[in-house]
Amino acid sequence: MNARYAGDRTTGFASPASDSVEGPIDLSQTLDLANPSRYPVRVRGATFAARGILDGDILIADTAGSPQAGQLVIAWASGRVLLAELQKRGNAWWLVSGDNTHPPLEVDPARDVEIWANVASVVREKA
Amino acid sequence: MLYGLIDCNSFYCSCQRAFDPDLKHRPVVVLSNNDGCAIARTAEAKQLGIKMGEAWHLVRNERKLSDVRWFSSNYPLYADMSRRVYQVLLDYSPRVEPYSIDEMFLDLSGFSDSLHAHCGAMRQAVQQITKVPTCVGWGPTKTIAKLANGLAKDRPELEGLCDLTDPQMRQRFYRNVSVGEVWGVGRRLLPKLHDAGIRTIEQFVEAKPAQIRKIMAITGLRLQAELQGESCLQIAEMAEARKGMACTRSFGRPITTYDEMHEAITGFATRAAEKLRAEDLDAAHIAVFIQTNRHKRDDGWYANQFSISCEPTNDTFTICRHASRLLKQIWLKGYRYAKAGVMLNDLAPHGQQSTLFSMASTKPAHENLLAAMDGINQKFGSGTLFPLSAGIKRDWKPRQAMLSARYTTRLKEIMEVNCY
Repeated sequence: MNARYAGDRTTGFASPASDSVEGPIDLSQTLDLANPSRYPVRVRGATFAARGILDGDILIADTAGSPQAGQLVIAWASGRVLLAELQKRGNAWWLVSGDNTHPPLEVDPARDVEIWANVASVVREKA
Repeated sequence: MLYGLIDCNSFYCSCQRAFDPDLKHRPVVVLSNNDGCAIARTAEAKQLGIKMGEAWHLVRNERKLSDVRWFSSNYPLYADMSRRVYQVLLDYSPRVEPYSIDEMFLDLSGFSDSLHAHCGAMRQAVQQITKVPTCVGWGPTKTIAKLANGLAKDRPELEGLCDLTDPQMRQRFYRNVSVGEVWGVGRRLLPKLHDAGIRTIEQFVEAKPAQIRKIMAITGLRLQAELQGESCLQIAEMAEARKGMACTRSFGRPITTYDEMHEAITGFATRAAEKLRAEDLDAAHIAVFIQTNRHKRDDGWYANQFSISCEPTNDTFTICRHASRLLKQIWLKGYRYAKAGVMLNDLAPHGQQSTLFSMASTKPAHENLLAAMDGINQKFGSGTLFPLSAGIKRDWKPRQAMLSARYTTRLKEIMEVNCY
């Protein structure tokens, strides 16, 4: 296999497409991976299966921007790295479990609970 | 003109902390190549009395240091985090000069009215996006910006920001600060300046140019002008073309046999040639050196180097062949070698220097082989494909026993998140 043939340089009949070669789609652009605020992270656990996030999936975390209610976020809580849904109650932000197996956890840097990044995209590798 | 300097606090440690919540409140130390000595420390580690350059094997078991987390240096991680810091800064300054992996000069001209707010926002953005804390200093020249940065770092009450644009402010500061704090005034220069009665920055600035010139030539005059707010040094957005390319390492354990040394040298030559091709350069001069441990002379001490000029090339196999020949010239049996390296010099753009009488111009097939090798190593990691003569076991490789994951450059090593 010669990886350099891209639909252009044919040997017999000249390819009518030789000026129109665009190459395969680059998903790292779609996922904006060169952006300094984007960090891929690996999912462990399945409490967010109902939202289509499975064990082993790759999330593209984005550390820019501000918190939004309903967003999935990656948070640091007393030494643990958690994936949770962000909710606002009154003036406070809360981390909510994906299947209600854990009680909501208030975001409060003073108590060592803080948001690390938003979740921007989900990627599943081929099985 | 207005220049800024932003400096990342304990950069290597901050990179480790960015991905590990366990490190948040703990003292963190990053060790040099071969897990030798401390090269980056968090404030908590400094408070415990760990000094820069402190040897890890001497203090690792001290009880008061039991809470310290030690790391081998993880350069793939630090390089990528430095890239991220740089890119965030481009949103805040049209021109950014990466001066070192953890400090960058900024062109801040045009933000004069609201510099404090601008630099504060920049610092906040770097912290949020890269998780790396920084300090920023600024002033009318690079030398003043560097001084301001040092102040921002040393004085907590400034909250990480220091403005030295005001000449009166500078004057007060210059009167009380040692000339040794100035960028480029090293330990070697300081005694000479002291002999001439120059101790403070103020004294340096007010000294007669002829006197300064005698002590530190034209550099001194430039420094004098810079300190007075007259800009002589511009922002260089990229490093100048390389003059040489080297690959050198300290070994994890002493090398005593020729075969192992030959493997090591071949490995270094392979890596150096790969770096040449990455920048599309040829080398026309190759040097090899080997040395024993300078600090353990009881076992006998030996260091030597040998070099040759050759036809410009970036071919791994040619460079390895030359390096082997050079090694044979300097190899002496019976010593315990601690360090070795291959240096490539006389660099020029690839293909440019080939002469009419050139004997063995690289064959295209050979170039394809090298390109394929580089492609595979880029995709699957440096050292995936290498000449067999570079050895397979290589257990003399530098120790990196406390290496963290490469969180941002290897998919298999990214941070894990647990579903809540």
